[in-house]
This record gives sequence, structure tokens and C-alpha cells, in this order.
Amino acid sequence: MSTGTEPEVESELTQPASGTDEAELEALLGDRAIAREEHLNAPGFVINPNDVQAVLSDLRNEAGYDHLSCVTAQQYEDRYESIYHLKKFADPTDELSIVVPTTSENPVSQSAEPVFRTADWHEREAYDLIGVEYEGHPDLRRILLPETWQGHPLSKDYDQEKPQLVTLTEHQNPIQPDHRDAESDTMFLNIGPHHPATHGVLHVETVLDGETVADVEPDIGYLHRCEEQMCQSGTYRHQIMPYPDRWDYVSAGLLNEWAYARAIEDLADVEVPEYAQVIRTMGAELCRIASHMLALGTFALDVYGEFTATFMYTFRDREVIQDLLEDLTGQRMMFNYFRVGGVAWDLPEPREEFFAQARDFLNELPAKVAEYHDLITGNEIFQTRCIDTGVLEPDVAKSYGCTGPVVRGSGVDYDLRRDDPYGYYDQLDWDVITRDGCDNYARVLCRMEEVEESAKIIEQCLDLLEEWPEDERDVQANVPRTLKPDADTEIYRAVEGAKGELGIYIRSDGTDKPGRFKIRSPCFSNLQALAEMSEGEYIPDLIASLGSLDIVLGEVDR
Amino acid sequence: MSSDEPQQTIHDSTAPSTDTREARIGEGVDDRFNSRLREAFGASPFILTKFDEFMNWVRGNSMFMLQFGIACCSIEMMHTYAIKHDLDRFGAGVPRASPRQADVMIVPGTIVSKFGPRMKRVYDQMPEPKFVVGMGSCTISGGPFQEGYNVVKGAEEIIPIDIHVPGCPPRPEALIYGVLKLQERIKNGESSAVVVKPYELEEFGDLPKDELVQKLADQIDEDDLVMRYNWADSP
Amino acid sequence: MNAATTTPIQSDVLLPERLGDLTGLNEFGLAGELLSTLIGAVIVGSLILTMTAVAGPWAKRKITASFTDRISINQIGPAGIGIIIADAVRMLSKENIIPENADRPAYDLAPIVIVGSALLGFAVIPMGSGIQLADPEVGLAFAFAVAGIASIGLVMAGYASGNKYSLLGGLRAVAQNVAYEIPLVVTGMSVVLFAGSLQMGAIVDAQNTQTLVDLGVVSIPAWYALVNPFAFVLFLIANFAEVGRNPFDMPEAPAELVAGYQTEYSSVYFVLVYLGEFLHIFLGGAIISTIFLGGPAGPGPAALGIVWFTLKIWGVFFLTQWLRSAVPRVRIDQLIEIGWKGLLVLSFANLGLTAAIVGVIA
Repeated sequence: MSTGTEPEVESELTQPASGTDEAELEALLGDRAIAREEHLNAPGFVINPNDVQAVLSDLRNEAGYDHLSCVTAQQYEDRYESIYHLKKFADPTDELSIVVPTTSENPVSQSAEPVFRTADWHEREAYDLIGVEYEGHPDLRRILLPETWQGHPLSKDYDQEKPQLVTLTEHQNPIQPDHRDAESDTMFLNIGPHHPATHGVLHVETVLDGETVADVEPDIGYLHRCEEQMCQSGTYRHQIMPYPDRWDYVSAGLLNEWAYARAIEDLADVEVPEYAQVIRTMGAELCRIASHMLALGTFALDVYGEFTATFMYTFRDREVIQDLLEDLTGQRMMFNYFRVGGVAWDLPEPREEFFAQARDFLNELPAKVAEYHDLITGNEIFQTRCIDTGVLEPDVAKSYGCTGPVVRGSGVDYDLRRDDPYGYYDQLDWDVITRDGCDNYARVLCRMEEVEESAKIIEQCLDLLEEWPEDERDVQANVPRTLKPDADTEIYRAVEGAKGELGIYIRSDGTDKPGRFKIRSPCFSNLQALAEMSEGEYIPDLIASLGSLDIVLGEVDR
Repeated sequence: MSSDEPQQTIHDSTAPSTDTREARIGEGVDDRFNSRLREAFGASPFILTKFDEFMNWVRGNSMFMLQFGIACCSIEMMHTYAIKHDLDRFGAGVPRASPRQADVMIVPGTIVSKFGPRMKRVYDQMPEPKFVVGMGSCTISGGPFQEGYNVVKGAEEIIPIDIHVPGCPPRPEALIYGVLKLQERIKNGESSAVVVKPYELEEFGDLPKDELVQKLADQIDEDDLVMRYNWADSP
Repeated sequence: MNAATTTPIQSDVLLPERLGDLTGLNEFGLAGELLSTLIGAVIVGSLILTMTAVAGPWAKRKITASFTDRISINQIGPAGIGIIIADAVRMLSKENIIPENADRPAYDLAPIVIVGSALLGFAVIPMGSGIQLADPEVGLAFAFAVAGIASIGLVMAGYASGNKYSLLGGLRAVAQNVAYEIPLVVTGMSVVLFAGSLQMGAIVDAQNTQTLVDLGVVSIPAWYALVNPFAFVLFLIANFAEVGRNPFDMPEAPAELVAGYQTEYSSVYFVLVYLGEFLHIFLGGAIISTIFLGGPAGPGPAALGIVWFTLKIWGVFFLTQWLRSAVPRVRIDQLIEIGWKGLLVLSFANLGLTAAIVGVIA
């Protein structure tokens, strides 16, 4: 996939990681690159708003940047800017930022949607929240806010105190013959926002032809809690950290906190003590198990019916993990345990008891996993339901920017814990799970096997922590009380969250609060692929596919 | 963006917040439990009193919950239904997906502008007598997201709430306590005053023709239901 | 259903006649017979409805809870049994919402059809201890026929609700019932071949008069579940599809269709629909017990028949709840495929084989 570039082993945090020769890139872009920018994570090229498609397709086809991780839009005093964060699936440390400035008066830029399908929603979000318009975008509507919203809330001239109107068009006669066109005899069906299978408040506009799904369009924004605004109005040091817990709220709190911690630590150049990294690694993997357990349980809910044994058993196991995490962090779900430069406190005393409980859990886990295999994946009805349904081809998955177990279930070997190491992962012995099935079954299996890998990681962390010399147990680095990174420093950093690549873009503006805080949510990208997976299948498969994507609306809508 | 004081100057279209508060408390006793029979018989004859007591006992001891997940709290709500905490012990653990068959709606999470009208709709679809448990800080005040441009500051702006369970999110034990408190109140024949809400669903055509309505006139159908969302207006 | 018009072969006297003798109503001619039949119907109906009332709000939750490591209701009365009263009264006292778009009177009739069809079926079931309302020559066919009426109720509920989820649920219910009714009846026919009669009483007698294996101390009766286990399994599967239980609970499919055909029903109507569901499970159980498990037969005196019969029905009910906790549901197209391509073929094979064997023995 990569074109004659040698991926380097280095990924030292202070200097931008660049695998591709910058000179080559310059040659490739030619005079389309009108300026250079340096982001902490990657080199940046400034291009004209009209060259977006040409540049991105060249970069994808010639230089191998096949992963459009995120699109960040922001408003400066004098201009709007869209940043395309590019990566390679083969080597995510090889990053590149394409910066597209547009004027304040006429914020129109070319859409990247024809090159990367994932740009569809990302650009709609940029339009919705910032107000940048994308020429050639197939469907530039608001995505998070109601259609009738006035103004763009993250732009500089937005007045929050003006009244708004929200419509409820679903109130129309629900059985009126609302065909999409005159000839077809299809039925339009609103699934959600309140529906047992949507895992929250997702609204799936579905067109049915009998029981077959003819068209699917997820409508999101029912849980848009202004997370980016909240983070932009909090100080780096302490006020932002509680929010990540609430993005992916399925007990994946520590994984999310790590995303912010990693970004800010790289931005402010903070070195985290090794001991704290081990604790972080252990806590994060506990969260991953809890999160995957819930994914399994709710998937069972979708395939089995209401409140079945499988669902209850996964909750039984989650309770054990939540108890462990509560011992460690003091909270069941919203941990707020990481600090910039470390963690809040050391393991709970008496340490032996904590270790014993954690080991008990790990010892029981294989039996439980075997039970799940017995109950779920070994069941023939389950197999006929899941194998070859909700098929997501690897190329499609890549083009939609899918990450995490979704893309690994499609056979793409991509895991930031290994490919872009952080924490203590690179010194531990574990494997990245991939499955070639591309279907619902593969994704479920992938999650179940990842649970076992996570258990391996936790076990090794426990060993390390137990033997750690008592006088070297630093849980926090020495971080100034107020963090004020230099103005206009930009960084985009991602970690492997429970659902996939969770990225944070921060631009500092010289104060103690971020100038722009952008969250790249894995679920947001993964959910886009739903239409691709479920069109032409039956309703139950649509529901199962949605379940296998394992979305969390808090993270989709932010 | 501070909301320390109610900003009465900028919105002529909706009632100021003080009115809202008075309206919310309402007048007189709530008659959610009163039957026609009782009205006909006047005061409280023995048989009807006993019958009322029986009905309150019945309603307090058995409730179907609406299977309703919004945000973070819904995870703890599921834990409350599940193995360890088992809300069903108290006769309150049957989640029904259809609002037509539910008695109690646990609102587990942040309400944002786009979801407000939908939640109101689901609430309206439930048959009387119905009760609402607000779970978590977001349903009380908007919680950690109160300052957000899109967040409704508390579910009570839209539907009446009988019991508030604070926490972010409340532990399952807290939710069980909240549900038991609700049962206790129902058994005692108490319920919260029915709320007059600042956010109400209206037909677009009925709205006063202010600047915003004029601007949206060509986008929204006259008969469409709309809800006015005013961040500054809510207390 | 007037019992007096049939001449039962079964040794037992039918319930209405006994009641007539007991109360002396028989002396009043046709009117007396009618009255005693009505009283009998009330007794049987109460018995069945009591069982459903125990099953619906209480037993179902307790059984599910024990499969999922929970306790479930335990606050009112011993083991929470008081929930039956609380649940029933509460649901009946709720506001009955009738949607604007509902197609009345179909919307109002549907719950009654669902419940009524199941209750009718119990008229011909010999429940032991002399409790049987009627024993017509075509008893088994009658039971199948009235159980089949439920599909009409389901599709009525589905389309009359004015809700798309209900509509999908109703259509699924019909597709499913049509696909599984035939294997059900055809498998039932193989039993008729053995017994040589459609009469319920005769089928029960045939099972209990013969002995399959005599081990001296224990003699195993020739219950058709033991004589032809293949037919029994086929019948059981078709029955689960017929009553819409896991793994064939497509018409409701909570995760997909909210609550299927019952989405819009509230209050009394919902109670009826809910009741109807359990009645159909019990009717299915009753038919299975009667034609495969020897009906009310069991150790001990014949007066205990009703106890054995109830136990057998509850055994089937328990099985449905077990499957509900543990088995995923199949997809609607797979369900239809299993029905038409699998069960139908197998049931005809079974019928042919049984016919051949019965012919050879005879």
C-alpha cells in the first residue's frame, strides 16, 4: 500500500513523525502547496480551496495516505480553515495535515467527499458548527443541530442567547403513504430516536421494500452536548479532564481520558512517569473489557430479544470490572482519574487486596469467555443470523475511516496501541486481533478475542506493578499549575479507544484554554458505514449491523 | 456566556422566567388520582377512600418502566435492571419498549434541543397515570453541560418530573432509592404538581410572528409541530 | 359446543353432564343443559385464566430471573406473588389510548379474537379429573382450527393500529402462522393415524391403554412422544413458531419492531393481548400434552388427572421461557425457509412413514 517509503521505528513525541520524505511530498504537490505549516504531530501543507480533491487524491493514490482521520474546521479572526488530518492504515505514525484556508467573507472550499467517503459527515459537521461551506458536497445539511437552527455555534459571531425553533415533523400521520417516489411501493419507517435497538437516541430513517431495507440514513444529533464547546471553555490543567469520560460513556472513561492526556502532554511537553503509564495501561484495558462486554451484551439484546441470559451475564462481569475500577479511581463510570502528567493517585491500599481481586477476575475470565462462546458464538442460530450479514469490505471500511474492532473485523490490521505506541503497550506482550470475515460475526468474535488480549495486558501490568520498587512509584510528573502552551501550536493525537481511533486536535491560543478543541470520534466514522452494510438486507440484519458497530451516541454526537 | 441572571431583555417572545416558575408550581391540588366517582360522591366516603388507598397501593407496587436510554445514565440504569441490583425485586423491572404500556419513564441523560420535542412526544404517548424519574444531574439542571448552546437545562423544562435522582451518573443504589421513593409517594397518594412547561410543542402557524418565525416561514410547514428552544430563557 | 349432542366414547362423563346431574339442572331439558354447559365453561375458563394470571406477571418473571441469576419480585406477599393482583389491577386501571388512526372496530375486536380463539380451544381438551367440556369426533381438528383463528386477530391488531411497526409485526405473524400451521397439522395427523381417531378423548385413551415397554415394576405407557419422538420434536418446533416464542418470536421481536402488533395497545386491550399470548402458549401446551404426553395420565388415582395435566402444560410453558432466555431469534426469511423447506417436508415424511408402519402393524 505504501509507495516506496520506509516506515521508521521512531516516534519520539517531541518531533513530528514523518515516514514519507517531505521533499517527495513537496514534489508531488508542486505549486499547489502555497505554504508550509508545522503541526506537532505532522508536517502541514497549505493549499488553495479549489485544489482539495486533486491534492487529496494524489496523496492517497501516489503517497499512500489512505486514511482521512479527521477534518477539523475552525475560525480565525481573518479566515476560516479546514484541516484534513491524513494517515496511513499501514503506518499511522506517518501523518500529514492539509490546511485549507478560506476567506471570512466567502467560506467556500472544495469538498473531499469524492476522494474519501468519510469526509461526508465530517464536512457536514464542519458546516453545521463552524459554517464552512463545501462545494461539490452531495448533501450539505446540518448534521448535529436541528435543521432550522440559526447560526453556527462554534463560529466567532454566534450568539448563544438567541431563541431557536426545533421542529417535529415526525408528528405527521405515521402511516400516510409517504413514498419516496410515485412508482415504488416502499414504506418509510422512522427507527428511533426512541427505539429499543438504537442504543441511545439515534434516529435511523429507513425505507423498506417489504422486509428488505432499501435505503438507510442515520440521523444523529439527539445527544449533541456541545462537548467541544465545553472543552474550549475549560482550562487545560483540570477542567477538561472530566469531559472525556462522558464521550464514550460505556465505562470506557479511562481510554477517553487518555486521548486528551496524550494530546495535552505532547502539546505541553510533559513527560509521564513510567509507573503512571503502567497504571494507565492497566486501567485503560479494564475499561476496554467493560466496554466490549457491554457491546456483546447489547448485541445479544439485538439478536436474541429482550433481557436474555447473555445480556445479564455480561452485566454480571461488568459489575466485577466496575468494582475494580471503583477501587482504583473512586467512581463507577465517570472516573476522572488521569491527570496531565500522570494519574490522580496510586493504587488503593492495601495493594495486595487490589491485586488479589484483579487476579481473581483475570483467573475467572477464561471460563466466562468460554461460556460466552458456548452461549453465543457457538449457537447455530446465532451463526446463521450473523455470518455473511452486514458485510463491510476492507476498502469500503478504509474509505469510511472506520477504525477499531469494526475495521479489524474486516481484516485490516490497524491498532494504534501497536502501530503508534503510547503508554506501556510497546513493552508488553500481546497481539492485535484481526478477522477476515467482514461480517457481524467477525466483529463480535474480534471483540471477544480482544477481551482476552486485554486480560493478558492487565496481567503483565499487575506483575509490573507488584514488583515496582516502592521509592519509584511516581504517579504524577511535575506539571505547572497553569498550562499555557505557546500560541498557535497545533497538535492532533489519537489513541485506540474502545471503539477505535479516538483523536483530539488542540490549537492553543496562548491562554490557559484551548483555542480550538476538536474530537475525532471513532463511532462517528463507523456509523457512516451503516448504510453501506445494511442496504439490501433485512430489517433484523440492519438492527444486528447497528449492534455490531457498537456505537455510543455520546461519542457520535459529542 | 454566563447565565447568572435571567436575561429578560432579549426575548419578548417567551414569558420571563419568573412567570415560568409560578406557572410550574400551578394552582390547587393535583388531581391525577381523583376519579369521577369521587367527584360525584363529594368529599371522601369510606368505600372510595379505601378504594383509593387500594389503587395507590396497586400503582405503588407494580410499575412497568419505559425502555428509554438517552446518555451516560442509561448504562447505570441498565445495571440497575441487571443482575446485581435487580430493580425487578420491587415490581419495577419490566422494561417495555412501547410507551403505550409503560407507567414510569426514567429519563436517563442530557436533553438537547433536538431531542426535547421527541421526549415530549414519548411522554405524551404514555397512558395516565404516568410518573417520571429524572436520573442524573443533566435532568435536573443540564449538569456539566449546562453552559452548552444546545442543552436543555433540565428535563423538567419539558415534562413534569416526580423524583429527581442526583448524581453524574447516580449509582444504581441511588436509582433504586429514587424508584422506591416514587413508590412511597404514590402509595401515599402524593404526586408532583403537574408542570406547566416553558418548552411546549406548538403548531408553527400558532407562533407569534417574531423575527425568527418570519425567517423560518418558508422552511417550516404551518402544521408542523415546533418547540421553541431558548438557552437564555430557562432558569 | 353443547355436550349433549355428542356421544362420547371416553369412559368419563363430560363436565357439563356431571354438573347437570349434580345440580339437578338436567331435569329442565335443553335450557338446563345449556346452563350446566355454561357453568362448566366458567369453571374451565377460570381455571385457565388463573393459570395465565399466575404465568404472566409472576411466573414468567420468576423463571426468567432464575435463568439470569436474579431474584425478581419479592416484596409483596410470599415470593412476590401479590404482584399478580397489583399488576392486573394497575394495568386495567390505566388510561386506554386509542390512536387517532386506529381502524375501529377491528382495533377493538383484535384482542378479543386473540383471547377468544385460545379459550375456545380449551373446550375440547380433556384435562383429567373429568374436566372436559365437550368431546366431539373432530376434537383435534377443532382445536387446530380455533388456534389458527388467532392469526386473524394478530393481523387485525397489526393493521388496525395505524402504526408501521404493528403492521410489520402483524404481517410477520401471518406469514409465520401460515408457514407453520401446515407442518403442525400434518404432524398432528401422524398421531391420528396411531390413535385412529380425531377425538381427543380417544387419543388420550389410546395412549394410556397400551404399554410401550413393561419393565415389571415400571411400565412405560405408549405416549406418542415416546412412540414417535421424531413427530414430537417436529410438533414442538412448529408449535413454538405457531405461538410466536423464541426462537421464532418474530411478530413481537422487541429489538426490531418495538413490540410488534401490540405496540399501540394500552390498558385493557394490552391486558387482553398479553393474556392471549399466554393463553396460546398454554393451549399449545395442552394440545401437546393431550396428543403426545398422555393427557391427564400419571401415577396415582385418576382424580389427580388435572394435577398431572397442569404440570405437563407448565412444563411446556417452562420450556418456552427457557428458550426465550437462551436462544437467539432467527430472521424472518430464515424462519419461512425453515417452515416451508424444512418442517413441511419432514412432517410429510413423518406422516408417510407413520402411515406405512401403522399399515404394516395393522
